[in-house]
Amino acid sequence: MTSSKKTIKAARYGMTIDIDRCNGCGACMVACAVENNIPPVPQGGDRKGLTWIRVYKVDNGAQGADRRSAFVPMLCQQCGNEAPCAHVCPQNAVEIDPATGIVGQMPERCLGCRYCMAACPYHARYYNWWDPAWPAGMERTLNPDVAPRMRGVVEKCNFCHARWHAAREQAAADGKPDTEPVNYVPACAEACPTHAIRFVDLNQTSVEGFRMLEKLGTEPKIFYQSKRDWVRQIAEAPRPTANGSKQGKEASRG
Amino acid sequence: MTTTRRNLFKLAGGAAAGSLLTPAPWRLITDTALLSENWPGVPRPKRGEVSYRFGNCALCTAGCAVRARCVAGQPVALAGVEAHPLSRGALCTYGIAGHHLPYHPARLRQGPVAEASAAVQSAIRTLRPNEHCAVLDLRPGRTASWTYRRAMASVRNGMYLASESNTAVDLASAKTVLSLGVPVLDGWGTPGNVWALRGGFHLIQAEPVESRTAVMADLWLPIRAGSEAALLDAVRGGSASDAAAQTGLSEQQIASLARELRENGPSLVLDRNGASPMIARREAPVPEEWKKAVPATQLASVSEESIRVLLIDESMPGEYLPWSAIQPKLTSDCVVVSFAWSKEGYGRQARFTLPAAVYPEVVDDIPPAIDSPAAMFRLAAALVAPPEGMVSPTGFIAGLAGIDAKNALQERVAAIQKSGRGSMFDPSGAAKPADLWKALQAGATWIDDREPRASVISTQIASPLADDKNRSSAPLAIAFSEPRAAALVSPLMSKVTNESGLRLGTHGVAIHPSDARGAGLAEGSRARLETASGFVTVDISVDDTVPPGVIQVGGGPDLQNVCGANRRGRVVAL
Amino acid sequence: MKLPKSITAIVPFVAGVLLALAAGWTAFPRAIYRAQRQPVNFSHRVHADKAGQKCDDCHSFRADGTFAGVPTLDKCSGCHAVPMGNTAEEKAFIDRYVTPGREPQWLVYARQPENVYFSHITHVKLAGMKCETCHGNEGATDGLRAYQEDRVSGYSRDVFRSMKMDDCVDCHRRQGMDHSCLDCHK
Repeated sequence: MTSSKKTIKAARYGMTIDIDRCNGCGACMVACAVENNIPPVPQGGDRKGLTWIRVYKVDNGAQGADRRSAFVPMLCQQCGNEAPCAHVCPQNAVEIDPATGIVGQMPERCLGCRYCMAACPYHARYYNWWDPAWPAGMERTLNPDVAPRMRGVVEKCNFCHARWHAAREQAAADGKPDTEPVNYVPACAEACPTHAIRFVDLNQTSVEGFRMLEKLGTEPKIFYQSKRDWVRQIAEAPRPTANGSKQGKEASRG
Repeated sequence: MTTTRRNLFKLAGGAAAGSLLTPAPWRLITDTALLSENWPGVPRPKRGEVSYRFGNCALCTAGCAVRARCVAGQPVALAGVEAHPLSRGALCTYGIAGHHLPYHPARLRQGPVAEASAAVQSAIRTLRPNEHCAVLDLRPGRTASWTYRRAMASVRNGMYLASESNTAVDLASAKTVLSLGVPVLDGWGTPGNVWALRGGFHLIQAEPVESRTAVMADLWLPIRAGSEAALLDAVRGGSASDAAAQTGLSEQQIASLARELRENGPSLVLDRNGASPMIARREAPVPEEWKKAVPATQLASVSEESIRVLLIDESMPGEYLPWSAIQPKLTSDCVVVSFAWSKEGYGRQARFTLPAAVYPEVVDDIPPAIDSPAAMFRLAAALVAPPEGMVSPTGFIAGLAGIDAKNALQERVAAIQKSGRGSMFDPSGAAKPADLWKALQAGATWIDDREPRASVISTQIASPLADDKNRSSAPLAIAFSEPRAAALVSPLMSKVTNESGLRLGTHGVAIHPSDARGAGLAEGSRARLETASGFVTVDISVDDTVPPGVIQVGGGPDLQNVCGANRRGRVVAL
Repeated sequence: MKLPKSITAIVPFVAGVLLALAAGWTAFPRAIYRAQRQPVNFSHRVHADKAGQKCDDCHSFRADGTFAGVPTLDKCSGCHAVPMGNTAEEKAFIDRYVTPGREPQWLVYARQPENVYFSHITHVKLAGMKCETCHGNEGATDGLRAYQEDRVSGYSRDVFRSMKMDDCVDCHRRQGMDHSCLDCHK
């Protein structure tokens, strides 16, 4: 599907997320659902929801007054090297866009085997257990730039790719050369009231921070930042280090 | 050739083989796949021209500036306006999906208008000498509030009930802030403004549960529930050892807190019912002729059984006074009418609940938030048309007094313009400054000049926390986890409630595992939360970050109604 | 004449094959499509010749680069508030649509599934393609041909002929374009 001629300067989009600035408000989660036509899933609890970006609460493992918590927004980490989901998909429904570096999920090609969900070490992929249902009349508020998905397919964050398209169309209308990178920002980064989530082009900006489960070698493009040591250690832990803060829910660590 | 069964099968086999060489089977396969994409269950978003409109969010008094992305005139997404001097482009979790409210399934679409009107008018006609007709305004400080006050001046024994709205805090000059459970960094004031000023103050959060604000504060003091008054006392010079005993902190912590508030001033103390110090804030100018209106009365000073007609405007989200405080003031034959978005607020107690237009269907002005020392005037834009059958609370109430309030907003704006005060922020940069009304309708904000010497109001922060009557009987102390939320929230809030457990929903509560076990409850159970004010059905979350003996409750009018003034309760399995 | 057994044996089979071929290539195409008429028998040629219009007078780009597609009623009402010619078709159009302000429900020949994203401005402005390349010479037609709707999936015969994904990919390959799934899907 690719050839040698490049028409635009390739970008490598990523994010920095400052955990010390995240107050767990969840505005990013709601903004994502608004932009990407994600329906509300009131049934099934937190294991069957569709939360392309999900804020987890983590803590330092201490009890009582010494306990300290932090909020970590988790979304598709846009693996830069051998994305596990792309590897395992039997349908070739996952493709990495050379122009943007975005790991694209094609729900129209997906057959719902959920192998990618098992492969993703970040639990960033979500399955449509039901057909999308919005309260009567609320379909009027759907975003025409994103296609709603039917039941039986997997979906995940694609950095609001529709906004990239819209930005490129605007640039074309403005007569800007095709090679100039466009200014676009995904819904979560735009919505974050504390600017904890910042969207960057890693080809243009160098960033600092740690990444989740770096030892797996997936080279994620989401860089997390925190001044607290115990938060940085969360990124290494393959299993939760302390009791889950909510009984009965999947122990929520990165 | 004979027609044997074998020949028939050969014919069929040939037909099958032959059909593979025709487009038929391949097309049918493709068509089936395509058909599955057009399942009736999957809606197709409507297309159209994209346009942008500016307004302000009416879900709380922050009134954050909003830019709505509209497709063929229908808002499909909301975002903040970065250049706004106060809201700085921030929109909270609730405001981001505010455009969904008109389609909420619980949204009221009809009500007994004629009956309510008849009942109210008949009651007013037959008011006994010491009886009142009262308007309870959940969001005072609006132009509508002035309409109610003017109407009550013309109605017999009219009374206007509302809490104080002309005070503010000066967060910009505070160096130390002690918050007694106030969600300073999670929906208090104007979130964008608080975050912009964050670097300028040291935040000490004193509360039993590590809330979102506590996570982000400079220091979290995990005091025992109900001990806020003791802590405050010690900090103001009282006994540190007493406070230590009650709060569970050490004497050194309390002494160090007191020292910091003293030495690293100006300091600000916030609690859920007020702040210290507060400054007086003048209102945006009003037409002179309006000033004959009745003043605001506090509910506490109303005599028992003296309200014969109670008209509650809960059409703009605000602070719910608990029904247990209101009920004693009503006569036994009181006609209670509520103008609401859903039946989930005072609709549970009102005799008549009339449907009001929701945000963003109606133009209304938004009073300034607590963290704005200067007055502001801005309008929530009407981005979609309200459905048929909505009742305008101002129309109804002004009608009782024979006042025409249809142009009240314009009259107010004319008065503002005439005063020559203030400046304007225009998000589109398009309107001429002289055309204030047009600019405001297009989303601008008028900001008053700050008074050179606003008087400081020294408040005794009301000690709302002693609920002696119930201390012994109710085992759980109540802690609030959500900012005072709107009466209706977008169905997409399920992302942060059911689908992730990040926040507590409108009927969500969280208790410690040992309390859950004691009450026979588990994660996800439904239970009844009982307080002295009543009871409400809640959804249980079991959370070991909530200390034993504490129940953390979400937002929503039902919970506020029942928990508002009562700081203790119990949960019972259903 | 008696045919050898081996030939007789396969006659039914061959007959089946021939029957299927005939049905599949003649009857099936006729059966699978349902012809729908457009709401108005619009003549592109009249508008191009007499009114001197070009494609993008009605099928234009908006300021943000999106394509307006089939024009809405206000475009037509701009000229046709009163009859411009003397055909019955125009009068019917004015009576049925312009006067009551009703949008004609045009059947779009090129309608793609919801998950397809096609950027007109990229192809027209950046790649310099002509409308006719993909849409054929619509400008010279005297009326609108019937919309042949696939009974099962609802898409038009035109899409199956020349606007399938394979057709787009072929052209992209011929042009040597770098592309990925998300370029054309949303």
